[in-house]
Amino acid sequence: MSNFWSLSYQLAKAEFKLRNEGSYLGILWYLLNPLLTFLLLLLIFEDRLGKGIPKYPLYLLLGIIMFNFFQQATQESVRVIWRNSVIKSLNFPKETLVMSNVLKIIFSHAFELLLFIFVLIIYGNFNSGILIYLIILFFLFIFVYGFSLMLASLSVYFVDLNNIWTFVSRLVWLGTPIFYAVEGQTRLGILNLFNPMYYFITVSRDIIIYSRIPEMWVVLGMMIYSFLFLIAGMFIFNKLKYKFAELI
Amino acid sequence: MERIILDNVSKKFWIGVKKNQNSLQQIISLISGREPKKNFFALKEVSFSVHEKEIVGIIGKNGSGKSTLMRIISKIYKKDSGKIFSQGKILPMIGLYLALNPRLTMKDNIFLTGLLVGMSQNEIKMKYKSIVEYAGLGNFENTKIYQFSEGMKQRLAFSIAIHTDSDIYLLDEVFEVGDEDFKKKSAETLRRKAEKGASIIFVTHDLEMIKKYCNKIIWLEKGKIKKIGGKEVVEEYKKQNG
Repeated sequence: MSNFWSLSYQLAKAEFKLRNEGSYLGILWYLLNPLLTFLLLLLIFEDRLGKGIPKYPLYLLLGIIMFNFFQQATQESVRVIWRNSVIKSLNFPKETLVMSNVLKIIFSHAFELLLFIFVLIIYGNFNSGILIYLIILFFLFIFVYGFSLMLASLSVYFVDLNNIWTFVSRLVWLGTPIFYAVEGQTRLGILNLFNPMYYFITVSRDIIIYSRIPEMWVVLGMMIYSFLFLIAGMFIFNKLKYKFAELI
Repeated sequence: MERIILDNVSKKFWIGVKKNQNSLQQIISLISGREPKKNFFALKEVSFSVHEKEIVGIIGKNGSGKSTLMRIISKIYKKDSGKIFSQGKILPMIGLYLALNPRLTMKDNIFLTGLLVGMSQNEIKMKYKSIVEYAGLGNFENTKIYQFSEGMKQRLAFSIAIHTDSDIYLLDEVFEVGDEDFKKKSAETLRRKAEKGASIIFVTHDLEMIKKYCNKIIWLEKGKIKKIGGKEVVEEYKKQNG
């Protein structure tokens, strides 16, 4: 087990290094994407969709960086088995490839989180709620890892999944209340009950931005979805992994 | 003591074939991106065993199933039928140098590959110096691998592999690149490993190496064992393949 973690960690570190190789701005690039998305959406929606939402800039930015973690990790996981031909040379726990990918995105998520904390301080909204985010992040991590296991293994069999997921994840982005609120919209509200990201983002906003206790069913939903996806992901990956080396 | 036993092991692949298709079939395969495929036996009813302290050489033309056999033994591929028994830690070296990351330094690669072959972080730290020295790459610790020659990569991969404490070593064409000196040195290392109890199987086109180091020689042809025995197998193989 300790080998599983050290291998995942080292793989993640190597990938992280490679991503920044020869780049002058390095990690600043990670912040540029969420920052620009944030500023643009703020500019467009603050007076419209964001009108009835208290502390809209914080509401928006937290939604963006949390979804960003999910989207980046899952989109890269679709290709993760394909990119690692070492599977054909050695017999090692292939789950580490998926885990290292999620860990790598956690590294960059940490930088986005720093950006968010900075904005929290600017708005005078910084409080201890941010510590609870670590617990939420644990569940989000489990969920994203489970989901990535599914995508990574299925994409070896269905190559089209790569294109499909790029498209679908964009739809989910639009369907998740990131730059708008879902309250009062019956149909979208019901749809979001099936969207795990809705739970994670809602719980985080309640605690960090509004300093209130989230509703119990949302917290439970968050936990159930994370374990459900973890178990399903491990099951599917386990079933399919024996053929990876033959198919890539 | 027997380390590996293969009993009637077969492996088949679905491979793409070009067939005479009518236009409807052609459109369907164009849209679905799927080619017509057929079963192809890469290995057919292969049986043999390997003892401890034994060095086994596998010869055969390209496409005869040598690498597939190595991957089956190391459990990288799953067999379709038959039985395999193996005892002890297996270290496969099947194109291992291709698994090195070209954009990382040699130092990073040693740590990464070391973990991949099952060493612990501490073990790698302890053996790091010896790995670098054995490969003869002392001046290149912080050089990125893409600047290495094929021979240097092969030496590095080999050095990492033999620093693991394994019971079974599977080496696929590791002597094809690299200079004579290193070839000799690595073959001697393997011989010493075998003397201490390890089992070694290697695939090579270098028939002299096979004759010099192997106790048992297996000749594969079209996925089947054509002949199994001592040095006489090499002579016969030479005769048939000019």
